[in-house]
Amino acid sequence: MTEHYRLIENRELQETLYHYRVHPGMDLYVLPRPGYRKKYAIFSTRFGSIDNRFRVEPDQELTVLPDGVAHFLEHKLFEDERGNVFDRFAALGASANAFTSFTQTSYLFSCTENFEQSLEQLLEFVQEPYFTEQTVQKEQGIIGQEIKMYEDHPHWRVFFNLLEGLYVEHPVRNDIAGTLESISRITPDLLYRTYRTFYHPSNMALFVVGDLDPGRIGALVEENLAAHNYRPMGAIVRSYPGEPAEIARQRTVQELVVSEPIFLLGFKDMVAGELQGRELMRREILMELLLDVMFGSSEALYNDLYREDLIDENFDSEYTAENTYGYTMIGGETRDPEQLYRRIMEAVAGIKKEGISKEQFERHRRKVLGSYIRRFNSLEFIANNFLSFRFKGIDLFQLPSILHEVRREEALALVEENLDPDRHAVSLIVPPEEE
Amino acid sequence: MQKGYSYHYLPNGIRLIFMPTEKFKTISMGLFLHQELKPDLAASNALLPSVLEQGSRLYPDYLTLQRELENLYGADINTDIMKSGERHILAFTMETAHDKFLGENGRLLFDGMSILGSVVGDPLVVDGAFREDYVRQEKNQLVKDIRAMLNDKVSYALERCISLMCADENYGVYKLGRIEDYDRVDQAGLYRYYRDLFARNPIDFYVIGDLEEEEVVGTAGQVFNFNRNGEQLTLAETDIMHPVHGVRQQEEEMSVNQSKMVMGFRTYTGYRDELYSALLVYSGILGGFPHSKLFMNVREEAGLAYYIHSRLEKHKGLMVIAAGINYDEREKAREIIDLQLTDMAAGNISDSELDNTRRGLCNQLRSKQDSPGQLISFHLDGSVGGKTYSIGELETAINAVGREEIKAVAERIKLDTVYLLRPREGGAS
Repeated sequence: MTEHYRLIENRELQETLYHYRVHPGMDLYVLPRPGYRKKYAIFSTRFGSIDNRFRVEPDQELTVLPDGVAHFLEHKLFEDERGNVFDRFAALGASANAFTSFTQTSYLFSCTENFEQSLEQLLEFVQEPYFTEQTVQKEQGIIGQEIKMYEDHPHWRVFFNLLEGLYVEHPVRNDIAGTLESISRITPDLLYRTYRTFYHPSNMALFVVGDLDPGRIGALVEENLAAHNYRPMGAIVRSYPGEPAEIARQRTVQELVVSEPIFLLGFKDMVAGELQGRELMRREILMELLLDVMFGSSEALYNDLYREDLIDENFDSEYTAENTYGYTMIGGETRDPEQLYRRIMEAVAGIKKEGISKEQFERHRRKVLGSYIRRFNSLEFIANNFLSFRFKGIDLFQLPSILHEVRREEALALVEENLDPDRHAVSLIVPPEEE
Repeated sequence: MQKGYSYHYLPNGIRLIFMPTEKFKTISMGLFLHQELKPDLAASNALLPSVLEQGSRLYPDYLTLQRELENLYGADINTDIMKSGERHILAFTMETAHDKFLGENGRLLFDGMSILGSVVGDPLVVDGAFREDYVRQEKNQLVKDIRAMLNDKVSYALERCISLMCADENYGVYKLGRIEDYDRVDQAGLYRYYRDLFARNPIDFYVIGDLEEEEVVGTAGQVFNFNRNGEQLTLAETDIMHPVHGVRQQEEEMSVNQSKMVMGFRTYTGYRDELYSALLVYSGILGGFPHSKLFMNVREEAGLAYYIHSRLEKHKGLMVIAAGINYDEREKAREIIDLQLTDMAAGNISDSELDNTRRGLCNQLRSKQDSPGQLISFHLDGSVGGKTYSIGELETAINAVGREEIKAVAERIKLDTVYLLRPREGGAS
């Protein structure tokens, strides 16, 4: 039965979202988008690569997983006793996929016909684990190739090398897919145990968007979950090692075949990990505005660096905040990493004195608002982001209201706290020395 | 012709295609200047959009232009160079949020289009030339971009295969041209070339959004009132008939962990061909989907690859199969791939493979209607390929494809080149 039902309105976007709480405690969101041919659904569990130490109330014993289990499970759910799941979606004309991040695993499909049957397939295959020695072994080969592909990917490597430099203990420093060694320790039994914990509906959420009728979707999902006779489960207690304020390694350099060095500078945020909901979103918005004011393409620094051939148009700055960690990253391909490093650090040191003008702040605020509205063309964007924000306790629809209320003094105040030179690290990919 | 679209020729010959729809949050525009793809012109074509984006007469530098866009609620201008068959297309797109979500009163169409018009039609010119420093800077950036192709090994391997395969055809040139040609381009010559190009080559201009036709046509006429009185050119068609004489094999060593295999085929089937829809179904069954033969057999059954697929270059009539594999397993992978090709040619295709692929292709087609960018690129394909399908027409054609048509396609397809990027002997690094 539906435990709870409400409407979430967004005036700016002129959207109405239907929110259901379905027994035993799963959130379902339905967003009608009249006129769209495509319908899209994403079914996510709050289980990502960083959730590798946990227990379930009232048990006290901690389970510790090898790295890469969340991602491995994602792959393995696509196969069950009846065969390959892709085939079943294909027969309905739907296109299915999945992905694993640091904090969640998501299963999704889009289609232009047979939506309700496809939605049932989605719910069914994710609720139907099937692991054998043989299928686990085969998957180790496939994921082994995936890991090797990323080992050759300089932008992926520069990112993870930086996280390894910034973090001493937190599992965000480990590759999402794990390593060839860690995945060799994964067994069917381990997958079943992990599955039972994290794939309980109370740890999951479903977002559905397209030209559809919320009432029908609500009834379909309710009926599907009811048939599985779930018992309530105790709370999942995730355990993360305490992360010291210090970084692990100031500088990481790796040689790969690249045309010129790839440079990434990062700052570890020690506060984001303690924030929730609106406060966390406020911090994300302020950091986006601050970084755009400092490094955006409409500002002097970016244009100077571009003219001096120290950056190309892919130079970027980005802030990420989750419930247990946060970081800022700035960088791109450059002929002279030392000089680019110096210029970025000078900008960080100088911004307090220079300040942010009212004109600047308003201009960037308009840009963030317009970009936000534009992204709502994409059903995938809305659904994926709504759920990942939802897992952080944030309502994506509140972005405009927070954006209107933030002030430039707040953004400036974040410099000292969040771009602290004591907590920065550098990652560099360089071409191999000539032999 | 698609229902609901309207077509207009502005007095200077620019073709305006307006697609009215209420469902998007945006006003989207795209202007495409068509040119032939030729090795010795490619560098100049690639340079032009980049140089133009650096500044126009009204917004004389990049910073000024970017600030103007930010004030327009972060409107987004993108310039690009596209290689589509043997067409080289200078692309300029503009997207803004729609006024109705911002409490603005209908000024975003005009303001957004004006900026786009300024960049494309009213460039910054000094003494009959583009600015020397802008040209120098963008030459340098593009040469870096050509070298940076190496950074992504998947696309590097694909480009290497295509350039080997089409070495003596116009299609063989990379979309950013050849590094050595950049030295020969100067700011005055480039400007003269652009004036000529802009005056005589075909231009398609798309507008999509919740707008009135009259207003769109009026605004476009007002903004794009540039003189382009040259005689309008008809561009050469893509050559899709290049013969295959034996399979070319090439291996390249690099300090990498994973081998990338790319197999290039000629299909002798272009966009206008009666068998075009059958080619779509052929490649779809072979390797276009997770239910396809290649994915099922090379990945799911044998566990040899993480990625394996086939893709079409629809205007050149090429098909490529690409996979990331262990070097030691290359022969095993190749055997399984060859077996799938044999099955395709022999008509060993199950009902569900045929059915699921037709459904999958139709789903992709219908989904295009939910993205302004995809609506534009689908229509643009018609402009390049010399045949405008509506989405419904192509759906009908796909659904009519049976084993006979697939067999006819299979008989045409010839393997041309096999390229393998492999780890250096003695391991990576």
